[in-house]
Amino acid sequence: MLTVTNLNSGYGKLQVLYDLNIEVPGKGITVIVGPNGAGKTTLMSSIMGIARVTSGEIIYENIPIQGELTHNLAKKGISYVPQMGNVFAELSVMDNLNMAGFLMPRDEVKKKSEQMTEIFPVLKKFIHRDAGTLSGGERRMLAIAMGLMKNPKLMLLDELSTDLAPIIAEKVMMEVARLRDELGITILMVEQMAKRALEIGDNAYLMVSGEVRYSGKADDLLHEPELCSMYLGIKPDSGQIADVAKPSVEGSEE
Amino acid sequence: MTPWMASGLVYASGLALTAGSITLLYIVTRTFNFAVASMATFGFYVAYTGVAIYGGLPYQYYPLVFLFGSFLGIVCYYGLNRHLLYRQAAEITLMMSTLGYDLVLLSFIQMYADFLTHTYRLFPRRVTMNTYDFELFGERAAAIILPIIAIVFLTALHMFLTKTKFGVAMRATIENPILAGASGINSDKVYLVSWVISGGMASLGGAFMAMAMTGSPTMGMFTIPLMFAGAILGGLTSLYGGILGGFMIGMTEYAGVFYLSQQLGPWVLGYRMGIPLILMAVTLLFFPRGLAGIPLSKYLKSLSGKKRGDGV
Amino acid sequence: MSSEKMNGIKFDPREFFLRREVMVIIVILALLTFLYSSRGVNIILTIFIDFAVFAIITMSLNLETGYTGVPQFGRVAAVIIGAFAVGAIPGRIMAAMMGLPSGLEYASDTVNFRLVPEITALLTTSYLYSLLFLLGSLAIAAVCGAGIGWLISRPAIRLKEAYLGISLLAFGDFFMWVGHNWTGLVGGSVPVNVPDPFRIFGGMRFTIIVLVIFVIAFLVFLYLQKLTKSPFGRSLRMIRDNDVSAGAAGKNIVSVRTQSLVIGAAIAALGGGLYVLYVSSVASIGFTRLTFTFWPWAFMMLGGIGSNIGVLLGVFLLSILRTMIVIFRYQWFGFLTVFGIDPLWLEFTLLGAVIIIVILFMPHGLVPEKIEPMLPKSRVRRVLERRQLAKEGAK
Ligand SMILES: Nc1ncnc2c1ncn2[C@@H]1O[C@H](COP(=O)(O)OP(=O)(O)O)[C@@H](O)[C@H]1O
Ligand SMILES: [Mg+2]
Repeated sequence: MLTVTNLNSGYGKLQVLYDLNIEVPGKGITVIVGPNGAGKTTLMSSIMGIARVTSGEIIYENIPIQGELTHNLAKKGISYVPQMGNVFAELSVMDNLNMAGFLMPRDEVKKKSEQMTEIFPVLKKFIHRDAGTLSGGERRMLAIAMGLMKNPKLMLLDELSTDLAPIIAEKVMMEVARLRDELGITILMVEQMAKRALEIGDNAYLMVSGEVRYSGKADDLLHEPELCSMYLGIKPDSGQIADVAKPSVEGSEE
Repeated sequence: MTPWMASGLVYASGLALTAGSITLLYIVTRTFNFAVASMATFGFYVAYTGVAIYGGLPYQYYPLVFLFGSFLGIVCYYGLNRHLLYRQAAEITLMMSTLGYDLVLLSFIQMYADFLTHTYRLFPRRVTMNTYDFELFGERAAAIILPIIAIVFLTALHMFLTKTKFGVAMRATIENPILAGASGINSDKVYLVSWVISGGMASLGGAFMAMAMTGSPTMGMFTIPLMFAGAILGGLTSLYGGILGGFMIGMTEYAGVFYLSQQLGPWVLGYRMGIPLILMAVTLLFFPRGLAGIPLSKYLKSLSGKKRGDGV
Repeated sequence: MSSEKMNGIKFDPREFFLRREVMVIIVILALLTFLYSSRGVNIILTIFIDFAVFAIITMSLNLETGYTGVPQFGRVAAVIIGAFAVGAIPGRIMAAMMGLPSGLEYASDTVNFRLVPEITALLTTSYLYSLLFLLGSLAIAAVCGAGIGWLISRPAIRLKEAYLGISLLAFGDFFMWVGHNWTGLVGGSVPVNVPDPFRIFGGMRFTIIVLVIFVIAFLVFLYLQKLTKSPFGRSLRMIRDNDVSAGAAGKNIVSVRTQSLVIGAAIAALGGGLYVLYVSSVASIGFTRLTFTFWPWAFMMLGGIGSNIGVLLGVFLLSILRTMIVIFRYQWFGFLTVFGIDPLWLEFTLLGAVIIIVILFMPHGLVPEKIEPMLPKSRVRRVLERRQLAKEGAK
C-alpha cells in the first residue's frame, strides 16, 4: 500500500532521515518504534509532504506521492494524526470535528461526529468549548476522533497513547486493532507504548538515528532481547516497560 | 460632534480597515503587505474617478473600490506571493516583494493621475473628497455613514470567519497550517481569499481616509507608517486587534493634534505624524506584543469572577 | 567548489568571463561608453557622483541588513541627520566665528541667502580653510549619525524581523517629518544654502567633488571589508544566522547589534553630508523614504545582500539605468505623452520591477555572498592540499 524507498529528508539544512526503507502492506498495522529523536515523526511528516524530502521515493497505491501537497494527500485517503499540534486550539470541539470532515458532505460529517462522541463521551460534554481548554488526554482523544472521522484508507498515527490514562490508552489500542480488523484500514503507527503496540501490530520497524535498525514481524522484535532492552526499555524477562528516556540518550549517541 | 471628532471618526474608520487588512494578511501568509499603501490610494482614485466623471455620491462606488482592491490583491498573490510562500521565503523577503509591487503600483497611480489631468481636465493631485459629500442630521454624512459601513463590513467578516465552513477553515489554517492541510483544506485557496479580502479592505480604507484628508497619489505612501502602527499596536495576532489598533491610532492623531495645537499653537500640525508613532513606540516598549499582549481578557475575567476552562 | 578554483592556480579565460562580477562589469562599461558617446562627459560625472554617494549609503545599509540581519527600513533617518547636520551646524559655526547671525535666524531664507556667500567667500581664500571645513562637516555628520543610530537602536534592538523593520521605517519617517517642518533647523520646506568648500577649485569643482566622494566611498569600502572580515564581522554573521546559538556561544547580541547600527548610521550620515556639500543646499523635502531607503534597498538586493563588491556593482548598474530612463524618457517612451503621462514615473516602475525580479529570479543578487570560511585563507588552502595529497596517495 505504501512503500518508502531510500528516503532522505529533514528540515532546512538539517538531515534527519538517511536512506530509509519502509514497507506498509495493506490492511495491516505497521508499528514504528525507536528512541526519542530517531526521526519517527519526521518520517510521517515526510510522507505527508511537510518535511523536506531531498531524495528517495514514496509510493502510495502504486503512485509516487513525494512532493505532493498535503491537502491532496488527504483527498487521496490518507489521514494523519500528528504527535504535536493535532487539534485546532482556537476552534471549538465541534468546529474541530467539522474541519476534520472538511472534505466530506455535511450530513456525513454529522453522522460521523455523533459516532465519535459515542466512542469518546468526553467530547460530547465539551462540544462547544475551545479545544485549547481541554486537558492533554481529552485533546488527544479529540485528535484521534478527528483522524477517524475521515474514513481513511491509510492512517498515520503518531504517538497516540502519550498523555492518556492507561485504561484509555488500552481502549485506544483496541480501537486501532478494530479499525484494521473490521474496517480494513491500513495503519502506520508510531508508539512509545512499544510492547502493547508490537502485540497488536503485524510488522515492525525499529528506527535509530534516522536509520532502520530492525525490520520484520512485530512479534519477532519482541523476542530480540538485546534490541528491546537497549532501545525500547522492555526488559526481556519481565516484559515490563522501563524508563524510556534514559536508553534513548544512549541510542542517539550510536 | 466637534469638527475634529467628525473627521477623526472618518479617518480612524479608514485606518482601522487598512490596519485590519495588514493584520489579516500577516496572520494568514506571514506577509507584511507594503502594497496596502498603493491599494489604499487606488481605492481613493476609483471613488474619485466615479464621482468626478460619472457623478453621484462617493459611497455608491465603494463596491467597485472593494472589487478593485481585491483585484490588486489577486494579482499580487498569483504574480508574487504564491511563489514565495511555496519557497517558504523569509518574512523580510515576503515584505520586500510587496514593497516592489507597491512601487510599481505607485508609478501606475502617478501615470493615472497624469492621464486624468490630461484627458478629463481634472486636478487629481489635490483632491478634497468632502466636496462630494452631503449633510445628514446637521453633520457631514461621512462621519455617520462610514463608521456604519465599517461596522457592517466587519460584522459580515466576523460572521464569515465564524459561521461558514470556509471561514472556519481559514481560521484553522491560520492557527495550524499543517493540520489544516492534513484535513484536506487547500491552503492555496485560503491564501487567495485572504488576499481578496485584505486587498478589498485596504482599498476601501483608502477611500474612507480620503474623505478626511487631501487625496493625492502619495497619500498611501505617507500614511503607511500609521497603518503599520495600527497593526503593530493591535499585536499582529488577531484581526480584531489590528482593527482596534488602527482605529485608536486614527483617533489619537486627531484628538492629539486638536488639543496640542490649542495648547501649544498651530505649529504642532506639522508634526501630527509624530503622535501616533510615539504611541506605537511606547506600546512596543511596554507591551512588545501590542494590545494583544495586554492580558485584557484576564483582567475582564477576574473582574467578572468567571474562570476559564478547568482542564489543561 | 572545485579545489583548483580554491587554489587559484589555473587561469581559465572562459570561466573568468562567465563569472557574474565580470559580466556585470562588462555591461556597466558598455553602458558607460554608450552614454559617453551620446551625451558627453558631464553625464558620466553625474553618474559617478550618484554612484559614489549611494554606494556609501548602500554599503552602510548592507552592514546593518546584510551582515547584521537588521531589516533597516529607516535608512533615510541617518541620511537626513547627516544632511541636516551639515546644513545646520558648520555654517553656523563659521557664522559665529565671523560675527554674523548664527541662531535660529541663520536658516531663515531672507538671512541665509546673504550669509552663505560670505562664508563661501572666506573659504575660497585658503585651501586650508576649505579642507578644514570639509573635514569638520563630515566629522559632524558622522558624529550626529552615530548618535541617531544609537538612539534608534535603543527601542529597536529587542524587536525582530518584520516588527523591527516597521519600527525602523516609522522612526525614519518621523525624522523625515521633523526635517520637513522644523524651520529653525534647516528651513523646513525652503532650501537652506550650505557654504561650499569646493568653490576654491573654480571650474574644476565638479571633477574634484567626484574625486573626493570617490575616495571617501573607497575608504568606506576598505573599512567595511576589513570590519566584516574581523572577529567583529564574524560575530555579526553568527548573530544574523542564528541569534540563539550565538547568544549561547557567549556573544552579547544587543551590544554587537548596537555597534553595527551605530557604525552604519554614521556612514549613512556621511553619505548624506557629502550629498549636501555636493548640491550645496539642503532641501528637506528631497530627503524621502523612496530615495534614501528604498533605492538603497533595491541597489543592495540587486547587488547581493551581504556582499560589498556586489553592492557596489548593484549601485553602479542601477544608477546607470535610472539615469538612462531620465535622459531617454521622451525618446524611448514618448508614446506615453500622448495620454499626458510623464515617462519620468517609469523610474518607480523600474525600482519596483528590479526588486520583484531579484526576489523571484535571483534571490542572491548579482554577486552572491561568499560563505567566509572561519579559518584564514592560507590555512584552508593547506588543508585542501593535504586532502588532495591523501586522495592521490590512496589511488
Ligand atoms: N520542525 C523541525 N525543525 C528542525 N528540526 C526538527 C524539527 N522537528 C524535529 N526536528 C529534529 O529532527 C530530529 C528527529 O525528530 P523527530 O522526527 O521528531 O523524532 P521522534 O519523533 O523519533 O522522536 C530531532 O533531532 C529533532 O531535533
Ligand atoms: Mg515524535
